[in-house]
Amino acid sequence: MDTPSVVRLANDIADQFSHRPEPAAVEAVADHVRKFWDPRMREQLMALARDGHVDLQPLALRAARQLQ
Amino acid sequence: MSATSPTVVYVPRDSAARSVGADEVADRIALAAAERHRDVRIVRNGSRGLLWLEPMVEVVTAGGRVAYGPVTPDDAESLVDVGMLDGADNELSLGVTDEIEWLRSQQRLMFRRVGVIDPLSLEEYEANGGGAGLRRALAMSPAEVVTEVIDSGLRGRGGAGFPAGVKWRTALDTDADVKYVCCNADEGDSGTFADRMLMEGDPFTLVEGMLICGYAVGATHGFVYVRSEYPDAIATLNSAIEILYARGWLGEHVLGSDAEFDLTVRVGAGAYICGEETSMLESLEGRRGEIRVKPPIPAIRGLFGRPTVVNNVLTLGSVPAILAGSAAAYAEHGVDRSLGTQVFQLAGNIARGGVVETSFGITLGELVLGYGGGTRTGRPVRAVQVGGPLGAYLPADRFDLPMAYESFAAAGAMVGHGGIVVFDDSVDMAQQARFAMEFCAEESCGKCTPCRVGAVRGVEVIDRIVADVDRDLNLVLLGDLCEVMTEGSLCAMGGLTPMPVRSALEHFPEDFSRGPALVRPVAPAEGGPR
Amino acid sequence: MSLLKEPDYGTPARAGEASVQVEVDGRCVMVPEGTSVMRAAALAGIDIPKLCATDSLEAFGSCRMCLVEVDGGRGTPASCTTPVASGMVVRTGTPKLEKLRRSTMELYMSDHPLDCITGSGSGRCDLHDLADRVGLYHMRYGQQGVNHLHEEPDSSNPYFDFDQTKCIVCSRCVRACSEIQGTFALTISGRGFDSSVAAGANETFMESECVSCGACVQACPTDALQERTIVELGMPTRTVLTTCAYCGVGCSFKAELKGDDVVRMVPHKDGGANEGHSCVKGRFAFGYANHPDRVLKPLVRESIADEWREAEWDEAIGLVARRMREIQAEHGRGSIGGITSSRCTNEEVYVVQKMVRAAFGNNNVDTCARVCHSPTGYGLKQTFGTSAGTQDFKSVDQADVIVVIGANPTDGHPVFASRMKRRLRAGATLIVVDPRRIDLVRTPHVEAAYHLQLAPGTNVAVVNAFAHVAVTEELFAADFVAERCEGFEEWAEFIARPENSPEAVEAITGVPADQLRAAARLYATGPNSAIYYGLGVTEHSQGSTMVMGMANLAMATGNVGREGVGVSPLRGQNNVQGSCDMGSFPHELPGYRHVSDDTVRGQFEELWGTTILSEPGLRIPNMFDAALDGTFKALYVQGEDIAQSDPNITHVHAALAAMDLVVVQDLFLNETSKFAHVLLPATSFLEKDGTFTNAERRINRVRPVVGPKTGKHEWEIVCDIAQAMGYDMHYDSTSQIMDEIAATTPTFAGVSFNLLDEVGSVQWPCNETAPLGTPTMHVDGFVRGKGLFVETPYVPTKERSTRRFPLILTTGRILSQYNVGAQTRRTANVAWHPEDILEIHPHDAEDRGIEDGDQVTLASRVGETVLRAKIADRMPVGVVYTTFHHPVTGANVVTTEHSDWATNCPEYKVTAVQVGLRRSMHASREVAEQVPTALLSD
Repeated sequence: MDTPSVVRLANDIADQFSHRPEPAAVEAVADHVRKFWDPRMREQLMALARDGHVDLQPLALRAARQLQ
Repeated sequence: MSATSPTVVYVPRDSAARSVGADEVADRIALAAAERHRDVRIVRNGSRGLLWLEPMVEVVTAGGRVAYGPVTPDDAESLVDVGMLDGADNELSLGVTDEIEWLRSQQRLMFRRVGVIDPLSLEEYEANGGGAGLRRALAMSPAEVVTEVIDSGLRGRGGAGFPAGVKWRTALDTDADVKYVCCNADEGDSGTFADRMLMEGDPFTLVEGMLICGYAVGATHGFVYVRSEYPDAIATLNSAIEILYARGWLGEHVLGSDAEFDLTVRVGAGAYICGEETSMLESLEGRRGEIRVKPPIPAIRGLFGRPTVVNNVLTLGSVPAILAGSAAAYAEHGVDRSLGTQVFQLAGNIARGGVVETSFGITLGELVLGYGGGTRTGRPVRAVQVGGPLGAYLPADRFDLPMAYESFAAAGAMVGHGGIVVFDDSVDMAQQARFAMEFCAEESCGKCTPCRVGAVRGVEVIDRIVADVDRDLNLVLLGDLCEVMTEGSLCAMGGLTPMPVRSALEHFPEDFSRGPALVRPVAPAEGGPR
Repeated sequence: MSLLKEPDYGTPARAGEASVQVEVDGRCVMVPEGTSVMRAAALAGIDIPKLCATDSLEAFGSCRMCLVEVDGGRGTPASCTTPVASGMVVRTGTPKLEKLRRSTMELYMSDHPLDCITGSGSGRCDLHDLADRVGLYHMRYGQQGVNHLHEEPDSSNPYFDFDQTKCIVCSRCVRACSEIQGTFALTISGRGFDSSVAAGANETFMESECVSCGACVQACPTDALQERTIVELGMPTRTVLTTCAYCGVGCSFKAELKGDDVVRMVPHKDGGANEGHSCVKGRFAFGYANHPDRVLKPLVRESIADEWREAEWDEAIGLVARRMREIQAEHGRGSIGGITSSRCTNEEVYVVQKMVRAAFGNNNVDTCARVCHSPTGYGLKQTFGTSAGTQDFKSVDQADVIVVIGANPTDGHPVFASRMKRRLRAGATLIVVDPRRIDLVRTPHVEAAYHLQLAPGTNVAVVNAFAHVAVTEELFAADFVAERCEGFEEWAEFIARPENSPEAVEAITGVPADQLRAAARLYATGPNSAIYYGLGVTEHSQGSTMVMGMANLAMATGNVGREGVGVSPLRGQNNVQGSCDMGSFPHELPGYRHVSDDTVRGQFEELWGTTILSEPGLRIPNMFDAALDGTFKALYVQGEDIAQSDPNITHVHAALAAMDLVVVQDLFLNETSKFAHVLLPATSFLEKDGTFTNAERRINRVRPVVGPKTGKHEWEIVCDIAQAMGYDMHYDSTSQIMDEIAATTPTFAGVSFNLLDEVGSVQWPCNETAPLGTPTMHVDGFVRGKGLFVETPYVPTKERSTRRFPLILTTGRILSQYNVGAQTRRTANVAWHPEDILEIHPHDAEDRGIEDGDQVTLASRVGETVLRAKIADRMPVGVVYTTFHHPVTGANVVTTEHSDWATNCPEYKVTAVQVGLRRSMHASREVAEQVPTALLSD
C-alpha cells in the first residue's frame, strides 16, 4: 500500500519549518495544518501519528501529536 | 637644384585628376627621371581645382612651384626631356602656380592647403597654418568658441544656410550624457565636388573643424557620413584619422587637453535623400533613410536621441580658418548676411570647370563667364542651374545676380552647396523640368505624399503638356502640383523640386509650347501596373 | 448601443506640467506643454483633417493633410508634429490650406481605387470620407499613370487581408507594429513611389514575424488591412463593450455586431488594462463561441458507461439536486463539493461557493487557481496582507529595472508584454530569471541585461541570493524597513548567512555568482525596480516560499508602495484574481477571510440565513484523495477540465471514476465529462453578464452580446440547483449578486455595476476611502499593518533527476493557444501551433540520436507520452520544455503528485523525465491514442 497523501503533505510542510528552533517549528507546522486542512485529513494524520507512521519525519510527527 | 636633395614633383591624387590619368603620369615621370638619373620625389597632392588642366603637374623650383597641364602620360617623358624638372617653359607650361590669375584672384581660406600639401602629411599641414584654429579654440571656453562662430556669420554650406553657431549653441545648451557631431559628406548634388576635394586634398582641415565643433558643444564622438561613390575620399579620411589618433589629435586627450573626441567614417548606401540631415541620422542609426519630422531638431535630439550637430563638410571645413584668424576677419568677407567665402563649383558645359573659393557677392556672370570662360562647346550659355538638381535655372540675363543667400532667394533661386551647372542653347528646358520631377521620383524617400506621389505625377503632367494634351488644364495642374509640393512636402527634397520646374516655366516658357513635333519624341505616359 | 466611434485626438496626450494656452480658429484652449497643435485643436472641438495621425501613435507628419497656418510663423507646418507654444494663434481652414489639402487628396486619389467605397470595402475608408470633406470632386490626374491598382492582396493570415491597392503608405500599420506591439514585423520596403508596406523581408504576413495582434488592422485608415469578417458579414452596426475572456490581462473590447453576429472584436482605447491594444486571441479567436461542438442542452446519464441523453433544464437540475442530497444522506455532509472556474465571472463564481457553503453546508469548495496561483495568494497575504499584486499595468512605465521571473509575457500576456517592451525600449533595464531563453531575453530593440538561466526548482535559492547581496552590501532601504516592516532583523540575520550568498548557491542554481551579484545590485539600486512573475514561480514545491522571498526582497529594497515598483503576478486566466477574491478557497470566505473568523462567518450566516462550518474544507487534490478513500462522492465542476489539467492524471481519473456523481458545467464535452453524469451547458463570454477581475485587481464589466444560447445563465443554473436542494437562493439579476458581494466584502464595498458603467473599471480595494479604486497598493502602509519578513530557506524539491529520468521537464505556453486549447483549438489560431513541441538542447538530442522534427517519447515515473522534438539552444542542457495546448500531448500523464507545501499547487514546472527516439510509427500512434488528453491548467 502506498504511503497516504497526508504523510507526504505533512512532511512537505515540516521541511519548510525545520530551520526553526522548537517548539516554534512544531507550532508552525501544526498551525498550518489547522488553518488549511479539512478535518478528516487532520484526523487521518493524527491517527497515523498515534501509530507512529514510519514515513512521517520527526517534526511532522511532533506537530501531528500536538494537534491532539 | 643641389645634387643632394631630390626635385619635388607634385602630381595630384585627387580622383578628378586620377580619372584623367594622374596615376600613370606620376609613374611615367618617375620612370623618365630614373632613366635620366634625376633624383625626384613625387608628392601626391590634392587638386588645385583647375580641373580642365588636370592632371596638373607642379615642380618645385627656386622661383616657386611651376605648373604644367594638362599632362598626359605620353607627355611625361618629353616634358622631362625639355626640362620640366627644372621649371623650364614648354607648351604645357602654366608658369608659377601662385601667379595663375584664376587661382590668385580667389580668396582661399578653407581651400588654402588643398593642392598645396601632401594631404596626409601632418607636418605640412601644420607648416601651412593647420592646427592653429584648434589650438586657439582649446585655449578658449566652449561658449567662447560658439560665440566666435556665431560672430563670424558662418552659415550652413550644405544648402539651407542656417547659422552654424546658433545650431552649435543649441547643442551646447542641451544637457545630455553624450553628444555627437555628424559631418554630412553625402555630396549628391549635380555639379558639386568641393566636399570630395577637401576630403581628398586636405582631410585634416575637416577633422580639425569637427574637433573644434566637438569641443565647443561638448560632443565626444563624431561621424563623417560619406557617400559610397567616394572611395578615395573614404580611404584618405580613414588614413587621416589613423594618423591623428597616433599623433594625439583624436582620442581621450585632444592635443593633450581634457577634451575627448572619437571619429568614425560611415559610408552611405547611395540614396540622395540621405544627404538630408534627418535621413542621414536615420541611416547612421542603421535604419531606412527616411525623413524625421522636426521638431525636435537634431541639435536637441539627434543621433540616438542625443544632441547632435549636423553640418556639411564645407561648414565644418570653414571653422579652422575662422578660429585661426578671428570672427571679425572672416566676416569682412561677403555681403549682407552672406558672410565669409563659399567654394563655388563650376560644372556642366563649361570651358574652365573647377573650384572657385571666393567671397560671397561675386556675380553669377563673373563665375560663369569670367572664371568659367563660357561653355565648353563654344555656344552661347542659355541657362545655368545653381544649387544642385533642385536649384533654379537662371537665364543668361540674370548673370548680374550676386552670389548670396539673400539675392538668390529674392530671385526664386538658391545658392545651395555652391554648384553651378552650365547649359548652352541646345538645352530643352521642358525636358530639364521633367528631369527635376524624375529625379525627385527616383530619389524621394517616399514618406510624404506630395513628394512620393507628386513627383511621379509631375513627370506625367509635363509629358502631357509637352505632348500638347490638354495643355492649359495641365499647366494649371502643374502649377497646383508645384504649389502643394513646395508648401506641403516634409523636407527640402519635395519642397525644392518645383524650383527648377517653375524657373524653367518662368524663364523658358517657349520650351513647353513648341508642340510635340518640335521636341524630341517623348515616351507616352506609362499606364497600368508598374 | 449603436456603433461606438471613439474620438481620435490625432497625437498622444502629453503629461507636460505646465499648461499652455493657444487659440485655434478663434477658440482658446489650455493644453499641457508639448501637446501637438492637432491635439489642442481636437480638444477645442476642431477636427483637423488627418490620415497618418492617430492618437495611439507618435506623430509622423507624412500625409500632409493636417497643415495649418500659425500667425507670425512661416509656411504651413503639419499640426501633428508642431507642438503648441504659448499664445500661438492657429488657423486650420484658410483658403490656402483648403487648396493644399485638395491638392494632396488629389494625389492620393490618383493611386487609389475610386470604387473602394462601393466594392467590398467597409465604408470605413477615411480617405474617401476626407476627400468629400476637403471638397475634392474631380481628380484631374486620371488613373492612366503609374499606380498600384493591380497589386495582388496578401490573404495569408486567417483573420485579415492586406490589399495593397488600397494602401496609402501612411505607415500607421508599420508604426503600430513597432510602437504599440513592439514586434517590428512590418516595414516600408522600397522608396519613393515604390514604397510599400512589407511584412518581414518581403514575406507574406504569415511567413513573417507577425504575431497577428491586429494593431495594424486597427491602425489602418483605409480598407487596406481589414478583418475578413467585414467582407463576410458587412459593416457592424452596434457596439457592446466587454472584456476578453482569455488571459489575466483582461483587455477591454468593443464587440462590434451586425444583428446578433459579432463582426469583429476591437480593442477599446479606454480599456484600463490594454488602452486600445490586443493580441491574436482576444482580437480574433472568438469563433469558438459559435462552434458546432458547443453543447446547448443539458445532458444526463445514469452511469458513465451509458450514452448521453438530452434533457430539459428542470430534469437535469432536479437530478443534480436529488443525487447530491441522497449522497449527503448516505455519506455525510462533507461527501460532496464543488470547484469554481477562473474563466467564469465573479458573480458566477460567487454563487457556486455560496451554493457549496450554504446549500451543500460544507467548505468543500476550491478553484482551478489552486493549480496556478494559489501560492501567490498565500505568499502575498503572509507578507503584505493581501492576496493580490501590488501594481497596475501602467506602473511598468515608471520602472527602471524590470525583473521577469518564471513568466513568458510575450506569449502568455502579450498585451502587457507590449507595454513592458515599450518601457524597455525607452531605457529600462531587464533581468530575466528563467531556465529557458524566452523571447524577451532578446527581441527587437530589447535585450536583457542579465538572463539568469537557473536550474528548474531553484528559484528560492536565487531570490535569497538577491536579498543576500542587498543586505550584506548594505543596499537595503533602511528607512523604509524601519518605518513600514517587521521581522527584518531576524530575517536579515538569516539571509546574510553564507549559504545564501550568490557564490554558495551557484552550485545549486547553475547561475554564475558574479552575474547574480550584478543583477542583484541592479535591482537593489533601481531606483524603481519591479518584479513580474508567473507560473514559473508558483508551480513548484516551494511556490509559496518563492512568492514570500520576492516580497521580502521588494520590502528590503523599498520597492513597494509606489508606481514603478512592486511584486506583480501575471495571472494565467481571465478571472484567477476574481475567483480567489470570491471566496473560492476552502479555508476562506470572500475577501480572503478565514472561515474560523467568527465575526465574518456570522455576517454571512446572517445574510445567507444558514450556518457555515468554521473548519476548512477539501482542496482539489484532497478531494481526489478523499474520493479514493471513499469519503468524497460527488463533485460539481464549473468550467474546468480537471481530467486534463490536473497533474498525475491517472490518479485523477481513478478518483473521478470512484465518485457517484460528477456534474460538469462547460461549453464543450471534455475529458472530465467522460466521468460525468450530468453536463450542464455553459455560456461563452459573449453571453455572460457580470465582471472579471484581472491580474491588476481591475474589475471589468463583461456585457452580453447575445442572450445565453443555452437558455439559462450559469448563475441561474447554480441558484436553481441550490433552490432545488432546499436552500433559498435567488437573484433577479447579476448586478444584485455584485451588490451582495459589495455588502459583504470590505474591499469591494464601493463596487456596483452602475459605478463600472460610469467609470469603465475599478481596481479593488474600492470603498469609502478609495471610491474609484486603488491602482497601487500599500502606498501609505501595508494592508496587514507592517510588512512581514518571512524566512525562506531553500528546500530542494523531492523531484530529482535520476539515472532513469535524467532530464527535467518544464512547461509553458505559446501566444496563439490558450491553456488546454478548448477555445483556441476551435478557431483558426491552429494555423500557428498545430501541435505541441518538445524543445530539447542540441547536446541532449545528440546523446539520444534525436534530430529536429523526430517523434520522441517523453516518460516520467508516472507516465509516458509522445510528441515531436525541436532542437533548441534556448534550453539549457538537461532541461526539456513543452507546451500543453493540444490534447494528444497528454503532458499531465507525466507530471507528478509533488506540490507546493503550503497550497498544494502542483509542481508542474519540475518533472524528472527521459526522452527517447520513438521506435516505430505504429508504437507512437498507439500511445497517442491511449493517453488521455491531459493538459495543464493555469
